[in-house]
Amino acid sequence: MNLALGRAGVTLGLAAAVLGVITVGYGLIRKRPDLVRLSRWYAALVFFGGFVAACAMESALITRDFTVKYVAENGSTKTPALYNFATMWGALEGSIILWALILGGYLVAVVLKFRKRLADPLVGWAVLTMLVVCVFFFGLMAGPANPFTGFSPPAGFDGPGPNPLLQNNLLMAFHPPMLYLGYVGFTVPFAFAIAALITGRVGEGWLLATRRWTLIAWGFLTVGIILGSWWSYEVLGWGGYWAWDPVENASLLPWLTGTAYLHSVLVQERRGMLRVWNISLLCATFALTILGTWITRSGVLESVHAFTTSSIGIALISFFALIVFSTVGLIGWRGDRLRSPGRIDSPLSREGAFLANNVLFAAFAFVILLGTLFPLAVEALNNDRVSVGVPYFNRMTMPIGLTLLFLMAIAPVLPWRKASAELLRHRLIWPAWIGVGSMVFSVVVGARGFIPVLAFGLGGFAAGSAGRQIALATRRQGWRGFVGRANGGMVVHLGVIIIAMAFAASSSYVRQAEFTLTPGQSAEFAGHTLVYEGQNRKQESAKIVDQVLIRIDGTGPWAPSLNKFANGNQTIGTPSVRSTFKDDVALSVIDIRDGENGSVTIRVTVQPLIIWLWIGGGVMAFGTLLAVFPGRRRNPLDAVSAPLAMESPKEPTGVTP
Amino acid sequence: MSSLIVKGSPLRRWGPWIAVFVVAVGVLSIATFGTLSAPTAQDRVSTISNSVKCPVCSGESVAASNAPASQEIRRQIAEQVQQGQTDEEIRSFYAAKYGQGILLTPSASGVNALVWILPIVAFAIGIAALAIVFRRWSTMPAERATDEDRELVASALRAEADDSDIDNDPHGEGASR
Repeated sequence: MNLALGRAGVTLGLAAAVLGVITVGYGLIRKRPDLVRLSRWYAALVFFGGFVAACAMESALITRDFTVKYVAENGSTKTPALYNFATMWGALEGSIILWALILGGYLVAVVLKFRKRLADPLVGWAVLTMLVVCVFFFGLMAGPANPFTGFSPPAGFDGPGPNPLLQNNLLMAFHPPMLYLGYVGFTVPFAFAIAALITGRVGEGWLLATRRWTLIAWGFLTVGIILGSWWSYEVLGWGGYWAWDPVENASLLPWLTGTAYLHSVLVQERRGMLRVWNISLLCATFALTILGTWITRSGVLESVHAFTTSSIGIALISFFALIVFSTVGLIGWRGDRLRSPGRIDSPLSREGAFLANNVLFAAFAFVILLGTLFPLAVEALNNDRVSVGVPYFNRMTMPIGLTLLFLMAIAPVLPWRKASAELLRHRLIWPAWIGVGSMVFSVVVGARGFIPVLAFGLGGFAAGSAGRQIALATRRQGWRGFVGRANGGMVVHLGVIIIAMAFAASSSYVRQAEFTLTPGQSAEFAGHTLVYEGQNRKQESAKIVDQVLIRIDGTGPWAPSLNKFANGNQTIGTPSVRSTFKDDVALSVIDIRDGENGSVTIRVTVQPLIIWLWIGGGVMAFGTLLAVFPGRRRNPLDAVSAPLAMESPKEPTGVTP
Repeated sequence: MSSLIVKGSPLRRWGPWIAVFVVAVGVLSIATFGTLSAPTAQDRVSTISNSVKCPVCSGESVAASNAPASQEIRRQIAEQVQQGQTDEEIRSFYAAKYGQGILLTPSASGVNALVWILPIVAFAIGIAALAIVFRRWSTMPAERATDEDRELVASALRAEADDSDIDNDPHGEGASR
C-alpha cells in the first residue's frame, strides 16, 4: 500500500515535471503564453507528487511497513517516534525524497509569487529550469536511488533502526531539513540566472526578483550548518564541533560562494557591473550543492575505485557537468550583453572592498575544495594515499579568516565610489579603540599567543564598525533602523564576529585529557574539579544506557554514557556537556571496566566560549530575518548611478511599487 | 560628510591613530612573548593525536575517534611523549608504520606539495587580476552623461508614464518586483 502510493507519487512528480518541461518549453519557443501559463498546474502536480511520496514514506516508517526496503533497512519497532519520523532523511534514498519535496515547495512558491508574470519569458524560463531540476531529482527516485523498492520480510522481522548516531540527539530532526532548505533554495536564483541568460535580459531585473530568495536560502543554509556542527559537538563526543570532514566541507562550499554573491551583487545593483562574475558565482553555488551531494553521497571519498559501483554517483556528477557546461556555454553566448560600461574608481571604496571580499571568499572556497578533493586526485593519479585533515585546513584558512575580519572592519564605513584617508580616520577611530580594547581585555583575562589575540582585536574592530552603522541607522530612523538589508547585514556581521571569536578562542585554548577514576575519586583539570560518583544503568526500548555520574565543580551530576543498542551490537557514547558563558566542560566515556570495582576512563575537553558559537548562529539567523523584511529603501528602478545633482527634482513616474 | 573639515596639524589629526597603533603593538607583544605556560605532556598528546589519522575509520583523527585502534595509538603516543621523543619523531614513526596517508597534514614534497602551493598561486592570480582590472579602470576615461543622454532618459521616463505595458521593456529589466 505504502509502496504503491510512494511509487505513484514519484511517477506523478516525474511525469508532471517532464510534461511541464515539454509544454512550457514549447510555449516559450513558439511564443504561446497560454501554454507557458500552464506551468502553475505542473508545479502544483510536481509538489503534490513529492508530497505523496513523502507521506507514503512517513506512513511506512510510522506503521513499520517492512515491505518497503528502506524501512526494513533503516526502521525498527524499537526506535522512538521522533527519531523514527526523522529516519526519512537518515539515509540516501529518503533524503532524496526530502530534497524533491522541498524543491517542489520552492517551485510552487515561485509560481505563486510570480503568478501575474507567468507568461513573462524571464519567469517562464526560470520555471522551466526549475522543472528540469525536478526531472533530475524525481528521476533519481525513479531510478538509481529508488526509495520505494520492495522487500518481503520474514515472519517476526524487525529492522536494525537508523544509524545509532542519528537517534541520539533532537537536532537530528532539524539540521537536515534546514540544510536542505538552504541547498535547494539556491535553485531559485540559479533558475532566474539561467533564464536571464537565455532571454538575454541580463540587466538587473532578475537580480531584484531573486534577491530575497537568495537571502532566505542563504539563511537556511547558515542555520543548517550551525545546527550540524552543534549536533556533532553534542553527539560525537570528541569535544569538537568542526572537523573539516568532507560532509562539512560540502555544506560550507556553497555557503562561501553564496556569501560572496550576496556581497558582489550589491555592486551590480548599484553600479550595473560584475554581471558575468555574479552569474558565475550564483551558478557555482548551485553547482557546488550538487557536487557536495556527489562528494557525500556517492561513496567516492572512501576510494575512487568504489566509484563505478554507485550509479547515483554517476548521475550526480553528470548533472554537475551539465550545469557547469551549460552555464559556461550560455555566458559565452551572451558575452556581448554581459559587458558593462561602468568602472570602479578606486580600490578604497565600497565596491573595491566587495571585490576584495570576493577574492578572499573565492580563495577560501578554493582551499576547501582542493583539500577535500586532493586525496581523490592523488589516488587517481598514482594510486597513493594521502590525507588532508584538520591541521591543513586550519593553517590555510586562518590567514583568510583574519583578513576577512579586517575587511569586515573597514568595508561597512566605506562610501561608494571613493573614500579618502581623512574619512577613514574619522569614521574608524572608535571601532579601532574597541578593537584595541578587546585585545587588552583578552590579555588581561589571560589570553596569550599572537594569532588569537590579533583575532580578538580584529573582531572587536569589526564589531565596532558594524555597531557604528547600526547606531547611526537607529539614530536616524528609530527601531526601523534595524530592519532592512543594510542593517540586517550588519547584525549578521555581528553574528559572524561572535562565531569567529568563539572559534579562535576554543581552537586556541582547547585542553583535553583522559582520566581513569574509581568511585569517589576526583581529578583536577584546567581549573575544574571532577568527582566521579558512580554509575547508573537505564533500560530504554532501543538501547541500554550506562551512565557515569560526575560532578563538575560541585554541579551536576553530569551523566555521559555508553549506549548499547539492541540491534547491531554497536556501542555509542553520548557525551555530557556543562556549558557556561565562559567555557564548556565536555565529558565522554571512553571505557567502563566491568569487575574492576567500577573504574571508568573518561575524556575531558575544556574549551572556552563554545556557547557563543550557537549564540552567534542565532544572531546571524536574526540578522538574516531583519534583512529579508523590506526596509525603507530607494525604489530599485531609480537610476542609482545618476550624478547626485540629477537625483532630486522629479518623482519617478509610472512606476508603482 | 563629504565636506569633512580638515583642520589642525597632521600630528593632531592622526594622534589618536598613533595611540591605537602603539597600544595594539604593545598588547600584541605581551600576547606573543608573555609568559605562556609550556605545553604539558597531555597537551602534546592531544596535539599529535589530532594530526594522526585513525587507521580504521574514514577521515577521523586518532583524537576524534573512539575506535579501539585509536585508543591504542593514543596510549602509545602518551608513552612516546613520556620517553622524550619529539613531535616530529612520533609522527614519522606512524608515517613509517602505516604510510604517509596516516598523517592528516600532507607532506610538502612531491605531488603533495601542490596542495600547499596551489592556493597561494590561485590567490596571487586573483590579486594580480584585481590589480590589472583596477589599472585598466584607472586609465579608462570616465564616462560622463551628456545633456543629450539626460534628455533621452527624460523622454524614456515620460514614455513609460504613458504606457505601463510589461512588454515595453527596452532594457530587459523586467517589470517591477
